[in-house]
Amino acid sequence: MPPAATTSLGYSPPDGGWGWAVVFGSFISIGFSYAFPKSLTIYFKEIQEYFSVSYSEIAWVSSVMLASMYAGGPVSSVLVNRYGSRPVVMVGGVMVGTAMLLASFGTSIMHLYLCVGLIGGFGLAFNLQPALTIIGTYFQVKRPLANGLAMTGSPVILSTLAPLNQFLFDSFGWRGSFLILGSICLNCCVAGSLMRPVTKVVPPKPGPGPPGCNGAAAEEDTRVQSENLQTEEAKSESKSQSCAERFIDFSLFKHRGFLIYLVGNVVLFFGFFAPVVFLAPYAKHQGIDEYSAALLLTIFALVDMFIRPVTGFLGNTKLVRPKIQYFFSFAVSYNGICHLLCPLLPGYAGLVGYAVILGLGFGMVSALLFEVLMDLVGAHRFSSAVGLVTIIECGPVLLGPPISGALVDAYGDYKYMYYACGVFMLAPGIFLFVMHYFNYKKLEEEQRQSVAVEMRTSEETVQLNMSQSDKSTNKAHG
Amino acid sequence: MPFSWKHQFFHIFLLLVSCRHIKTKTPGPTPPPLAPISPLPTADRSVVFKGESHTEKLEVLNPVSLTLECVWAGNHPKLPNITGFWKKDGEAIENSHLTVQLENDQYLIKRVFNIVNEESLGSYSCIFGNEAKVDFLLAAPHIAEVRDKPIVSYVGDSVVIPCKMEEPKPKPNTWKWYKDNGTAKEQIFAAGKLDRFEIKNENGYTKLTVHNLTEADSGLYYCGAVYAIATTMSHVKLKVISIQEPLKPFIAIMVEVIILVTAILLYERSQSKKNSTAGNDVNTDQSHIQVQEENSLEENSSMRQRKI
Repeated sequence: MPPAATTSLGYSPPDGGWGWAVVFGSFISIGFSYAFPKSLTIYFKEIQEYFSVSYSEIAWVSSVMLASMYAGGPVSSVLVNRYGSRPVVMVGGVMVGTAMLLASFGTSIMHLYLCVGLIGGFGLAFNLQPALTIIGTYFQVKRPLANGLAMTGSPVILSTLAPLNQFLFDSFGWRGSFLILGSICLNCCVAGSLMRPVTKVVPPKPGPGPPGCNGAAAEEDTRVQSENLQTEEAKSESKSQSCAERFIDFSLFKHRGFLIYLVGNVVLFFGFFAPVVFLAPYAKHQGIDEYSAALLLTIFALVDMFIRPVTGFLGNTKLVRPKIQYFFSFAVSYNGICHLLCPLLPGYAGLVGYAVILGLGFGMVSALLFEVLMDLVGAHRFSSAVGLVTIIECGPVLLGPPISGALVDAYGDYKYMYYACGVFMLAPGIFLFVMHYFNYKKLEEEQRQSVAVEMRTSEETVQLNMSQSDKSTNKAHG
Repeated sequence: MPFSWKHQFFHIFLLLVSCRHIKTKTPGPTPPPLAPISPLPTADRSVVFKGESHTEKLEVLNPVSLTLECVWAGNHPKLPNITGFWKKDGEAIENSHLTVQLENDQYLIKRVFNIVNEESLGSYSCIFGNEAKVDFLLAAPHIAEVRDKPIVSYVGDSVVIPCKMEEPKPKPNTWKWYKDNGTAKEQIFAAGKLDRFEIKNENGYTKLTVHNLTEADSGLYYCGAVYAIATTMSHVKLKVISIQEPLKPFIAIMVEVIILVTAILLYERSQSKKNSTAGNDVNTDQSHIQVQEENSLEENSSMRQRKI
């Protein structure tokens, strides 16, 4: 089991109880963050007519929103490190709500870019990061399952928002819909209120608190100890987390596992979203009618929805948990192979089969995406890690679909795009597999060394005690 | 020569009577209008069928002299003669009954129609005997539906209603907009910059912009694609509502959010109060146990030392 990362928490997480309420809150926050930008596309046609702009100009709203959401990652991390998850999520919810409210009174397309795109995107960033971080503080043993369940929020909320948005649009037009969506987004505040900071029950041990504390945390420790004899209850998780990092922990760039994850992810995101985005157009290109093409996406979403908790559960089993990085590499490679095979599958039946296996692959990777990062860097540094990862992933996520689109336009055929996406996923899959093999070996070596060092030091102290007590007994006798 | 004025008068009388008779005779279906001064372009369409009912759709843009031909080749009673006639919109056309000879194992009937205006469009059918027929549907290009659900907009806001003629279909000469004011369709004229209405026509589509909406502006709007032969219409429903409408669900959901947040935070506060009162007892218990453990540890180590 990768040792150092998981035991650095300094307390034993509840792994249940209120944790499941927190998982539900994260479910909603994560769901809104991923599903909201995608669901707004229903309004684009009418807004495009209203402002007399081209389709690409209106599509920029979605891109700006997604870009802000990823770019806001580090800001979100800093705030979570300082104040904890709950205030940040609630502020995020209010931001998105206000953004949509302002957008409903919009008078120009620029107004929409600023409100929906920039402010809305930042608000969603303030939802995503803390929701992921808090799961790491509440769960240790059941963490993959908790992560899998929380990530299921994305397809579930998307499936709910899509027909809801259609209904709102038919009843209220785009302005009224934005207004009502603003209030719906305020439900993120409800999710935030569920994210109670974890009460840390530290197993009693003589000696100082966690090492490397700065002044404020040390004072807290002594004050608390004077009140309750041996049990520490740090009500605000930020105070003990700020022990290690006040802002962003840039030392992560020296962390071997983090670097492996970063390199693998940057490449794989080039090919991650494009196949889903182009599934319906590919089907129509093959002559399939619009409703059947839409059905493909529904099948994909349903499979995705079910596989995420299952993956979380599998990741939790004794067999997989210690080597969860291999599971992730397998999921990524499986995706790559799917994309490579897609152009070979004939007809509508082939596409349905492809939608199913694509849903499997997409869900597996999504469920494990943040769990493996937590596994590598530990819950303590996860907040900074995820902030850095999202801002660096911003590039491939935004560039992926347009590059794929350019490939389709250049060759007039979708199969080259699928081959490219397949390569973009298979290569990192194999890379991750190989690199983690070496990483696990190194970690085991370090573990053995540190255990040896500990044993030596404890033997020395025992000998020291024994010699001291011998001296004292000799003195007593003699 | 016996010239009789009586005979003359009688002849004139007969002539007058017969003339009047001709005038008062109820006229049959109006004969097709006389050919216009400039000759119509000609077109023809021929359908070969085997007795099954067949429908042929024809798109007509400009006035045309159209020759329609039906050929029944196969699956027919091998009678030497059969009656054939034409119908327009379900009603038989006078003077169109013919006796068709069986030639080369086929029955052939054809007729020239002058399609000049909107009334000339419709459904033309050629019928053999009593059953076998071919329908020709003549129409101007049809506009695809803009939206089957109403477009919703707000009082004081403006709205853009588009109308588009799909790509492969031929583009109309111009576009016209109409509003249904209860009894009839009233054409909308976009007078100038100051007018509330703005019509922007481009080749394949048109946009009607209405500024400063009021609730009276709700209703059916028709866009007409004008071709030389006729104007095809498509309709869109506009619904103008006040800002109060979406405000109600907005406030309702906001209230729900506030209630839930307060409930969750209050529950947490009550839980933590319970924990802190119970916690003190637990703490003292724990500390007792810990002190005992430490004592026992010390005893063990000292015992070890003594043994040594």
